Amino acid sequence: MPFSANATPEFEGRGGEELGTELSNTLYKVFNNKHSVDLKSLCISAGEHCWVLYVDVLLLQCDGNLYDAISVAIKAALFNTKIPRVHISADEEGGKEIELSDDPYDCVRLNVENVPCIVTLCKVGHRHVVDATLQEKACSVASLIISVTHKGTITCTRKVGGGSLDPESIFEMTEAGKRVGKALHAPLMKLLQEEESLGKARQKVGFLG
Amino acid sequence: MLKSKTFVKKTRSGGVMKIVREHYLRDDIWCGSEVCTECKQESTALQRDPCMESNLCSYPHYVIPDTNVVLHQIDVLEDQVIRNVIILQTVLAEVRHRSAPIYKRLKDIVHEKEKHFYTFTNEHHRETFIEREPGESANDRNDRAIRVAAKWYSEHLKKFESDTDPLKVVLLTNDQGNKQKAEESGLLVYKCEEYIKSLIGNPELVDRLALSNDDKNDITSSKVLFPEHLPLSRIQAGLKNGTFLQGTFRASRDNYLEATVFVQGEGEESTEVLIQGLQNLNRSVYQDVVAVQLLPRDQWVAPSSVVLQDEGAAKDDNEEEGEEEKELRVSAAEAARKPTGRVVGIIKRNWRPFCGMLNASIIKESTRHLFTPADRRIPRIRIETRQADALAGQRIMVAIDGWPKHSRYPNGHFVRTLGSAGDKETEQQVLLLEHDVPHQAFSQAVLSFLPTMPWEITPEVMVNREDLRSLTVCSVDPPGCTDIDDALHCRALDNGNLEVGVHIADVSHFIRPGNAMDKEAANRGTTVYLCGKRIDMVPELLSSNLCSLRSNVERLAFSCIWEINHKAEILKTRFTKSVIKSKASLTYAEAQMRIDDTTQTDDITKNLRGLNKLAKILKKHRISKGALTLSSLEVRFHIDSETHDPIDLQTKELMETNSMVEEFMLLANISVAQKIFDEFPDCAMLRKHPAPPPSNYDILLKAAKSKAVEIHTDSAKALADSLDVARVDGFPYFNTLLRILATRCMMQAVYFCSGMDSDFHHYGLASPIYTHFTSPIRRYADIIVHRLLAVAIAADKTYPDLMDKQKQSALSNNLNYRHKMSQYAQRASVAFHTQLFFKSRGILNEEGFVLFVRKNAIIVLIPKFGLEGTVFFDSKNKTAPKVVFDEEGPSLTVEQHTFHIFDRVMVTISLDASNIQHQKIRMSLIEPVIPGVSVSAPEVQPLAKKPRLDR
Repeated sequence: MPFSANATPEFEGRGGEELGTELSNTLYKVFNNKHSVDLKSLCISAGEHCWVLYVDVLLLQCDGNLYDAISVAIKAALFNTKIPRVHISADEEGGKEIELSDDPYDCVRLNVENVPCIVTLCKVGHRHVVDATLQEKACSVASLIISVTHKGTITCTRKVGGGSLDPESIFEMTEAGKRVGKALHAPLMKLLQEEESLGKARQKVGFLG
Repeated sequence: MLKSKTFVKKTRSGGVMKIVREHYLRDDIWCGSEVCTECKQESTALQRDPCMESNLCSYPHYVIPDTNVVLHQIDVLEDQVIRNVIILQTVLAEVRHRSAPIYKRLKDIVHEKEKHFYTFTNEHHRETFIEREPGESANDRNDRAIRVAAKWYSEHLKKFESDTDPLKVVLLTNDQGNKQKAEESGLLVYKCEEYIKSLIGNPELVDRLALSNDDKNDITSSKVLFPEHLPLSRIQAGLKNGTFLQGTFRASRDNYLEATVFVQGEGEESTEVLIQGLQNLNRSVYQDVVAVQLLPRDQWVAPSSVVLQDEGAAKDDNEEEGEEEKELRVSAAEAARKPTGRVVGIIKRNWRPFCGMLNASIIKESTRHLFTPADRRIPRIRIETRQADALAGQRIMVAIDGWPKHSRYPNGHFVRTLGSAGDKETEQQVLLLEHDVPHQAFSQAVLSFLPTMPWEITPEVMVNREDLRSLTVCSVDPPGCTDIDDALHCRALDNGNLEVGVHIADVSHFIRPGNAMDKEAANRGTTVYLCGKRIDMVPELLSSNLCSLRSNVERLAFSCIWEINHKAEILKTRFTKSVIKSKASLTYAEAQMRIDDTTQTDDITKNLRGLNKLAKILKKHRISKGALTLSSLEVRFHIDSETHDPIDLQTKELMETNSMVEEFMLLANISVAQKIFDEFPDCAMLRKHPAPPPSNYDILLKAAKSKAVEIHTDSAKALADSLDVARVDGFPYFNTLLRILATRCMMQAVYFCSGMDSDFHHYGLASPIYTHFTSPIRRYADIIVHRLLAVAIAADKTYPDLMDKQKQSALSNNLNYRHKMSQYAQRASVAFHTQLFFKSRGILNEEGFVLFVRKNAIIVLIPKFGLEGTVFFDSKNKTAPKVVFDEEGPSLTVEQHTFHIFDRVMVTISLDASNIQHQKIRMSLIEPVIPGVSVSAPEVQPLAKKPRLDR
């Protein structure tokens, strides 16, 4: 997970490393399990070959609520992922050869239905805040990270920050998180599908405009 | 406008990589036509009235070929008649991907102004770019892109009213589907053959057409002569699990039914697989990369020593090849059998256009003729031409198009004629082409890096350079030498020792790394010396002027200076860039005369005497360490200054001064090799000469034994010593013959990069390390060595490629190849001039010695001319004499007489011009007299008196 020094000057040099490790560990926990992604669909030939998905996150700007933003981006990326179809040809001697289809349209899409989104709740005073800005985050002593699927199932929780949270507020925050998470999925999916349906008409964004 | 190109590919390690490229479209790509008023182009390539007259298209038009047309018909496109062609970027990219040589030729055509070829970057044009549709293959997309671009052109050109008919574009494609689709969209489209045939007044173009697939079938009978080649996927699988071997196919020069496949193994383990018989050769052509399968051990055979040539009329495809093949299958001793295999598939064809001559078909009206390449290792090629009469007696070039499995010969097409056979210019051209010697004039780009004249030494040049202009330096070279790259000096020092300097032309000062001149020189690798012609590695201004260390002019040099005592021991060595002013350019003979003439006591002569004295001691040292003195006969022609025909020939004479110069050059090379290796252990360019494997000496040992002489081959020293004492009474020439044989046993010396090898030994010179430093004008390796040395002594900057051992290694491979080829070309040139000589001299009777004994022939060496020739004992028209071959001797018994190696024979030499292509020196036996085999000595014709020129 590389950080651009564009995001904040702290990331210059090796400044982002610690945060990077923390983020990737958390994300690993959230996404790398068979409930989030149907791992069976990544199988090429059982016991021998499978696709390995790598998600690279590049942080260009950091304006708070990092986890949530990243999780939305990851879900969108997984939705967009096209895995080329492969054919396995076996020769007489039993050796297997993987052949790639040369048609870029000949590909497999992932089912991202169960991919969770992360909701971060920041405890500020007696209340908690969703989608905190940098300033709001600065006021909070502790926050709770929850990953929620579209059904409202919580797949992972984690507490970050130095302060403490009492059990009651944790319960409160979890409930709020569930609600927010559920509400987040539907518009996200709608947006993604809309873009997909544009097909080739979709405006491309490149470095030259 | 932005589009993106996405594709996936498999990496070598088996992973899958997805590549996304941003692809920007522009609206400022112009059409390149003169008639266009809309495009804001600065220059136009396509003419207003393209003058290609065709019966099919009577209107002015431009031509757009598709990829396959370019790939297969590049010979046609190269013709001067074909002009005003639009090459689409799609086509260019596909050609580049499919065939690098054709891509290069295409680029060359595009650059030629008179051809009016225009490259249209349709892939970046806003209106002609198309994206791949779902379900469309890459090829289909490209075909569509070509059609879209053609369509765009025809719409675009329609807009401009010209005085005559409006311009049109014609799409050429051989693809039926593509053609149909193009017709549907209203394009003018023709098959390439149709179009070329319709061109008015250019019948010879049709000959150049490569045969396309559907034409081939009707040529030959349907009988399948060869086994099918396996598909590449099967070959790869086979290579992986070891059932097949991959190697380079090398046809035998002497026997067209035999070949070896050289299999490069891990490290040193290279093997050769023998292939025998047409079926097993399975349509491989010399230099192809093929897959072979080893035959079971009981089917292994020994290489036959029969000389067989594919001659006579075209053999029918269904004719049995039985008879000649049977001759091969002589049971051989178990030990002599070699791994034998058969070719199962072709991995890569290495076809190039071949030089040769046409054997016109016996049937007059026939358009199919056989073409016999000059190189015997290439099979005869069937071509289709309507101008057989015009081509008879001409040297022509032919390219192979394919070799179907039911055809006895490969099919090809005519490329161009080189001139009439036997003509000196033509023959020279042929041998340069056949030996892949780059011999075109230097391009403007190369010449632009030459220093401007008048050139003089400026103060900047003098930085890091020693001024040695005051020294008495002189050069000693063969007569007529204009590229003098070495000069010497020798002077007494105050402490009684001698200072000896070797000064080498500083070519690397003029040729800077990476520029066009450097690249050209690196590609040429070496200067090629033919009889009466020199093909320079660097432009003449450098080779014969600025870098040539001529007398009485100031020249830049790279000097290697030793302090040597009178016992020729080196006390000190140093290297420096310098400026010298040679006091004399001498020939070997002149230098020898000065040394011998005791009345001369000038500086130069004293210099020479000192050098000569030291050289003799150095040589003694070297020989005592085991350096070999081998022998090969070199001949020199006296060339008539007006006709350039050879009028006499003599073997080169060696004088003391030859070896004097040689001795110091060796010393300089060794000193430099040591220095650059110490400094750059990983990337020094060195030269090694591997010790030959013991089996190479078999022939020498057997031959010597037959004369009761023992030769030891355990080490170079033992060999040198035993050669020295090998003498037979009453046979003074024996020793020379033995040395000639020993030379044939040697391995080739090669350049290599020190980081890639561990064995540096130079066997022939008995030196642990060696390189080439002393001839940078004519060898590229020396330039690299100069650069390395300059960096080592901090006289010049380094550059990345110099320190890259992979690149160095690749470079040395090229240099080795060029070096080998230049030697072959040189030999071929000598052979040709020998023929010219014998043509003018008529029949001669000469004394010769048997050099080798073959199964059906002896090879005879004529010392007087340094000429080798074969005396066959089974000429086809006569009744064959009884011939018994004894492999152990080796000896050959013909009727009652037995021939051994070194036997003295008398032969009559004449030029056999019955086959103009391979004019050869024919030798027949006079003595010993064997009834029915030898001929009676013909009368030697007196030399025709040369008519005096009236002036």
